Amino acid sequence: MPAAEVGAVPRASERDAANRIYFSVAAVIGSLVVLYFVLVPVVGLNLAFHFYLMLWITMASAFNVAAGFSGYMPFGYVAFYGIGAFTTAILVDKLDFPVLAALPFAGLAGLVLGMLFAPTLRLSGIYFAIVSLALAGICRLVISNMPEEITGGSYGLHLGSRAEPVLSFYVMMAVMLLALGTTLWLSRSRLGKALRAVRDDAEAADMMGVDVARVRLYGWLIAAFFPALCGGIEAWYTNVVDTETAFNTLTTAKTVIYAVAGGLGTVTGPIVGAIAMVWVDDLIWRQFPLVNLLLLGVATVLLVLFLPRGIVGTLLRHRPQWRRYIP
Amino acid sequence: METLVLIGIVNGLVVGGIYALIGLSLTVLYGVLRVVNFAHGEFVIGGSFLAYVLFNSLGIAPLMALPIAAVTFFAAGWLAYYLLLPRLSRSDDPEIMSFLMMYGVSIALAAIMLILFEADSRSIDYSFSPISLKIGPVYVSTARLVALGVTLVISLALTAFLFGTLHGKALRAAIMNREALQIVGVDIVKLSAFAFALATGLAGVTGVLIALVFPAFNPFSGAEYSIIGFIVVVLGGLGSPIGALIAGLIYGLAEQLATVFLPQAMAPVVGFLILVGTILVRPTGILGYRAKR
Repeated sequence: MPAAEVGAVPRASERDAANRIYFSVAAVIGSLVVLYFVLVPVVGLNLAFHFYLMLWITMASAFNVAAGFSGYMPFGYVAFYGIGAFTTAILVDKLDFPVLAALPFAGLAGLVLGMLFAPTLRLSGIYFAIVSLALAGICRLVISNMPEEITGGSYGLHLGSRAEPVLSFYVMMAVMLLALGTTLWLSRSRLGKALRAVRDDAEAADMMGVDVARVRLYGWLIAAFFPALCGGIEAWYTNVVDTETAFNTLTTAKTVIYAVAGGLGTVTGPIVGAIAMVWVDDLIWRQFPLVNLLLLGVATVLLVLFLPRGIVGTLLRHRPQWRRYIP
Repeated sequence: METLVLIGIVNGLVVGGIYALIGLSLTVLYGVLRVVNFAHGEFVIGGSFLAYVLFNSLGIAPLMALPIAAVTFFAAGWLAYYLLLPRLSRSDDPEIMSFLMMYGVSIALAAIMLILFEADSRSIDYSFSPISLKIGPVYVSTARLVALGVTLVISLALTAFLFGTLHGKALRAAIMNREALQIVGVDIVKLSAFAFALATGLAGVTGVLIALVFPAFNPFSGAEYSIIGFIVVVLGGLGSPIGALIAGLIYGLAEQLATVFLPQAMAPVVGFLILVGTILVRPTGILGYRAKR
């Protein structure tokens, strides 16, 4: 970066110019994404594949808020997903809500669960991770042991024949755009900067006047809201909710792997990571169904050994001056 | 009811002993290397499958399989360390990266076991004579008592090693302060390899014991043990071997006693709640000393 001479152009306008480029790049990427996904049902591409692609993009982006921006690693992330799925299923199946009215309540359930888990935010690193895992386990076991009239016991719940593939596809797209928009906003807003400051050095941030606990809570709630919505929409799409799939630890694992594969702390990272990994996963499934699991494990190990910062992260490490232009 | 509680206590000690061993190996591994070994459960189940193969193909009794498992898994751990871990320590977030990599390893190992042994549950048809012993008013399977005995011996041996010998003290020193240990002149790479190999060897041995204690196992049981291992380690305090032993016993007792009073499926909830409660009250676990955020 050229150093500013005395009386030369002030820093603020440099920053504004960079921000303009930043948001333009984001707008271009965003429009491409929207265009592509809008056309999927129209052109007749594989709806299920793209639905789940959008789901994983959303999950990875929301997880990025918890991990990349805030610095937490919730091993029990699937708890929010599961609670969203079950809330939607209960409202639709037992109380006859229309699905679109039930989804906001799913998001709300995610927020409530996030508030319930908020006291754990003062833990660090692995302690937080394992406690989060234990809490998700408690959620799963409590729900599967609740009376059958409420949560369907081990059979789970059905949403009747309310599945509407194309409509749920577009709703998922709307949620994905909301999540991406939120992360984009977060990356340049005061809250986002405060969050990253707290992640890097909580005491220093505290001294600068940042309300550490409140900032962490807001970041956490944002990260809790979107997986709950995802769980609800996926329940609508597949019509069935049960504790084994709704609270499956593989969901958390995939979310983490996809987010890290792309690059934590960037906005486009989770998108790139999710696309790459979902594509690889699908490819493995088609070509090598028998050794599918083995290849997935090996692919993860290779990823960590050779691309530890993820795809976007590694790119930014080699070209640090692009950091202010690439979302 | 009293008999049930007594059975619960005995089972709790047996199961708790196994959980304690898993926790012990995991805490040494985490303490020295700061690696979140999510694949630990798969190493444990690998030990069970090794015992299964040795028994069914070569007729080797599980007790004889213990030293074989120990040596095999020690060697495997040593190799695995040099293959996987040195690159990791140079990344800027070794804890998260290690979690991810070991998660990949755990998926790969489970897949290998799935390919080799298929998804059926396996068990070892070995019985001691007499099949069960009478303790007070209850009958307990001899296999479980033997496993408890072996667990005790191993725990004592390990504690003696960690607190008595120079190598053991080096391990504990690495847990306390890695950099200082290097300054004093210890080769941290060799020591880390040793810690990893030791932890893996212990995992293999624990797997053989699991084959004796639990009725059956399959390639996917590993994930459960990984999770239990981590809960025990966090409950006991990261990097504290004694903490892991105590926490394992507490968790095992809690789980088994819970089955007396609650439906079977709810038993893990009690253990989870103990973990969450303890951590919120004492964020470093029972005997840990790392700071909170």
